[in-house]
Amino acid sequence: MAIVGHALSIVSLLISLAIFFYFRSLCCQRITLHKNLFCSYVLNSAFTIINLITVVNNPKVVQRNPIGCKVLHFFHMYMLGCNYFWMLCEGIYLHTLIVVAVFAEEQHLHWYYLLGWGFPLVPASIHAVARKKYFDDNCWMSVDTHLLYVVHGPIMAALLVNLFFLLNIVRVLVTKLRDTHRAESNMYMKAVRATLILVPLLGIQFVIFPWRPENRLAGEIYDYIMHILMNYQGLLVATIFCFFNGEVQGTLKRQWMQYKAQWGQRRREHCSMRSTSYTATSITEVPAFMYHHDCNSEHSNGKQTEDSELVALKTGETYA
Amino acid sequence: MASVSWRHALFFLLVVNLSVLTTACSSHYGNAIEEFCLAKFKLDMEVLDQRQWCSWEDTVESYGELTNCTFLVALKMNCFWPNRMVDEFFIRVHRHYFHDCSMSGRLLHDPPNQILGPFIVVPILVTLLMTALVVWRSKRSEGII
Repeated sequence: MAIVGHALSIVSLLISLAIFFYFRSLCCQRITLHKNLFCSYVLNSAFTIINLITVVNNPKVVQRNPIGCKVLHFFHMYMLGCNYFWMLCEGIYLHTLIVVAVFAEEQHLHWYYLLGWGFPLVPASIHAVARKKYFDDNCWMSVDTHLLYVVHGPIMAALLVNLFFLLNIVRVLVTKLRDTHRAESNMYMKAVRATLILVPLLGIQFVIFPWRPENRLAGEIYDYIMHILMNYQGLLVATIFCFFNGEVQGTLKRQWMQYKAQWGQRRREHCSMRSTSYTATSITEVPAFMYHHDCNSEHSNGKQTEDSELVALKTGETYA
Repeated sequence: MASVSWRHALFFLLVVNLSVLTTACSSHYGNAIEEFCLAKFKLDMEVLDQRQWCSWEDTVESYGELTNCTFLVALKMNCFWPNRMVDEFFIRVHRHYFHDCSMSGRLLHDPPNQILGPFIVVPILVTLLMTALVVWRSKRSEGII
């Protein structure tokens, strides 16, 4: 079942990455951080699936205890760290942008790359060394050891620091900038909102993990929620950061309208070559992107014109 | 080599002494294993330091020989193995030699808190330091890098 969750996550994340790479107009520093975050989620889900299929479901491999399964576990821990540290990078970026430098763009991203890709090697290596020396069970599969906190401790610290930064941002946006920079304040509030929703969602599984309720019904609900929180994280991240993003939606709508118009135009050309009663004047009256699909009816749909204008206005507005 | 000759001597003694008793299992079985098997085990354990009695690596051989010995005596005396007398025998052995060994024994367990503590706290501190560093560098990134 976990495999299904992670597979869905990978698919949705790859779609989001494709959207981000294809539409150059969406490109900016924050989107670059999103791309790195999605990459780390894809890799994490991939490693989890590989781990589940080859090691966890395979008692013969665990019995044999090859060194490869410990290496796989090490990379799994590294990828887990990368996920949460990239979320931290997003939070630090927003914090620097809004609170510290006040909307000055173009930060240097080298330190973010270091924190996101390089630093998680440290807890993963320390965990590997400690595990090898003190709790060297087969394939390092056991979760009964406190040595797992060597990796989970920094992750929780990163989540707490992230939450602190985001709350600070909200405080600054609400109190200080509301009067002076209203328009930007609104825009950045939308940007922060997405991250602020995600951080507790990602972190809450660590908080409620030890407290499984005794009641049977509540226990089942707990299991389902934990299952969703742990295995569908990639899907959640892709949905909140990409599919629910106003700018992405606007860009996709515009692209769709363009395709519709081009397709309509091609059909129009086909129809005009075939039908003899069609007059030239009706082509010039109707705006280029408003050709109706059906060649027979030539009513210019005033309603459609209105909708397209509204869409064109909205795309510039929201940023979240 | 000494243990092999020991064993041969034991079997010879057994065969000589028990050749009369070819019938079913009796309470002589208990006496027999006390006399023949426990004596050797006692000698082996006395060679070891008392602190090593709880160490599985050091005691596994003698313990295995003890078990095997009771099995062979049972065979010779037409007794079913294991049986109640063997169980009581081993309970006495455990009570004497292994009564204060830790419960987990051979199971894997966490290192003591003095080692576990730093292993957990140090990465957390390094994380916080690294975060502070990144915040500081990105704050000053306008002209420096």
